[in-house]
Amino acid sequence: MRYSPTLVDHFLNPRNAGLMREADGSGSDEYAGCGDLTRFYLRVREGHLAEARFQAYGCGPTIAAASVATELAAGRAVEDLATLKAQEIEDALDGLPEDRKHAAEVAAGAMRAAALDALRRRHGNREA
Amino acid sequence: MTRRVYLDHNASTPVHPEVVAEMLPYFSDVYGNPSSVHGFGRDARAAVDAARDRVAAFLRVRPDELVFTSGGTESDNFGVKGLALARGSGHVITSKVEHHAVLRSAQALEAQGFAVSYLPVDQYGMVDPDDVRRALRPDTIAISIMHANSEVGTIQPVRAIGALARAAGVPFHVDAVQTFGKVEIDVDAMNIDALSFSGHKIYGPKGIAGLYIRRGTKMVSIQHGGEHERRRRAGTENVPGIVGLGKAVEVRARDMKTEAEAVSALRDRMWEGIRARVPEVRLNGHPTERLPGTANICYRNVESESIVLALDLKGIAVSAGSACTAGSVEPSHVLVAMGVPLDWAMGAVRSSLGRSTTAGDVDYVVASVTEVVRRIRQAMPVGAA
Repeated sequence: MRYSPTLVDHFLNPRNAGLMREADGSGSDEYAGCGDLTRFYLRVREGHLAEARFQAYGCGPTIAAASVATELAAGRAVEDLATLKAQEIEDALDGLPEDRKHAAEVAAGAMRAAALDALRRRHGNREA
Repeated sequence: MTRRVYLDHNASTPVHPEVVAEMLPYFSDVYGNPSSVHGFGRDARAAVDAARDRVAAFLRVRPDELVFTSGGTESDNFGVKGLALARGSGHVITSKVEHHAVLRSAQALEAQGFAVSYLPVDQYGMVDPDDVRRALRPDTIAISIMHANSEVGTIQPVRAIGALARAAGVPFHVDAVQTFGKVEIDVDAMNIDALSFSGHKIYGPKGIAGLYIRRGTKMVSIQHGGEHERRRRAGTENVPGIVGLGKAVEVRARDMKTEAEAVSALRDRMWEGIRARVPEVRLNGHPTERLPGTANICYRNVESESIVLALDLKGIAVSAGSACTAGSVEPSHVLVAMGVPLDWAMGAVRSSLGRSTTAGDVDYVVASVTEVVRRIRQAMPVGAA
C-alpha cells in the first residue's frame, strides 16, 4: 500500500464529513490540475474553532486530508487556522506520496479560506 | 482474512495450471537455443515449431505466417510501423480509441513524415466503416483498427473495414490483443493482413505474443539482429513462453465458448446489481457488440481513483478509467473520444471478469461498490466536478 495506515483510516472513516447549516465561516479550494475540490464549514466560539465539517471531491488522499484537517484544527484560534500550512496536514497523515502532495495543499487552502471568511464575518459584525 | 476478488483480467490473467505444467521443462530440461544445430538446440526448435503449429491451427493460418514477439506492444509497433515503413511514405488510417501501442506508433510515423488520420468513434466507442471509406486516399498505405477496446470492450466492425481495405488494396492491421482467445477471429473473412495477439491476456505467460502476417504482405522488421523468425524478428526465441502460448491457445480453443457464456452472464449480473442499487451510474461501451467479461461503469461525480482505492482495501481489484498523475488528471482517451461528459468520465471504473470469477465474487463486488460509492458521495460537495 502506497498510503499510510492513518491516511487509509481517514479515507475509510472520514471524520466530520458533510454540510453545516449556518456556519460562522466557510471556504473552499480547488486544485486546477485535477479538479480536486475541498470545502470546510466552521463553527466558531470565542475566537476558537468549536466544530468543523468538510465536503471533498477527489482521490482517496484528498478525502483523507480534509478529514484529518478537521481534527487537527479542533479548538485552535481562527487566526492560527488562517495561516495553516499543507505540511502540517501531510504530517498528520504520516506522509503523502510525491504525486499526491496536492491533497494536503487543497485541504490547507480550503481551511485558510474558511478561517479568513470567519474572521471577515466577525469583523463585519463588529462594524455593524 | 479479507476476501480477494480479481476483476482486472483485461490487464493480465493468472497462468492456467495446464500451461504452467507444459512450460516447466523448458526452463531446466530443454534449455538449448533453437538456433543451435546440436541436439539441445533441436529439441528447443521442435518445441517452438509445435507451438507455432498450435497457434496456426487455432487462427486457421499457415505456421510461417506467424512471428513470435515479446508482447502486445511489440506486435502493435511491428504491425503499424512494419506496414508503413515497408512503403516508405504515405497515409495511415487508425482510430482515436486504439491502445497507446498503436497510437504512439502512429505518432512516431507522423514524426517521420507520414500522414495519419485518427478516426472518431460514436457514443459506444465504435468506428463507422463509412468514416474509413471517406478517409481513404490514393496514398493510403495502411489501416490499423483494433478488434475490441480494452477499456470499454466495444468490438469494432473489422469485417466491414477489412472489406473496404481489401477493395482499396490497402493492408489492414488489427490489434486483437483483447479478443484473441475470447472472440471468434477469421483473418480470411475479415480480410486481415496483420494481427497482434498476446499470451498473458488468455491465461498464458507474460512476455510472449505474436503477429500474424498474411503471406505476401510487404512488411519490414523493426528489430534487427540474427536470422530468427524467418528474418522478420531478431532475437533468441522465448522458448518457455512460446510453449506456454501454444498451450494457452489450445486451452482457449477448448474452453473459449463455454467460458464466454458464463463470464457474460456474470458481467450482466454485476451490472444489473449495481444499476439497481447505486444512483447515477452508466455502462460504457456497446450494449451488445462487446467483450464477454468487460464492464466499464461511470459513477457520476465520484473520482474513480477513490473507488479503486476503497475497493482495493476490500480485496477487490478493478482499474480506474481516469488517472491522476502528479496532480494532473487525465480522463481516458477512449471515454473522451466517445463524448462521455467529464463529470461522468472522471468516475469510470473498469471491471474485467475471467474464468475463475464466481457469482459469489460478483455479489460481494456489488455490495462493496454500493457501500463505497454511497460513503464517498456522502463527503462530496454539492454539485461538485
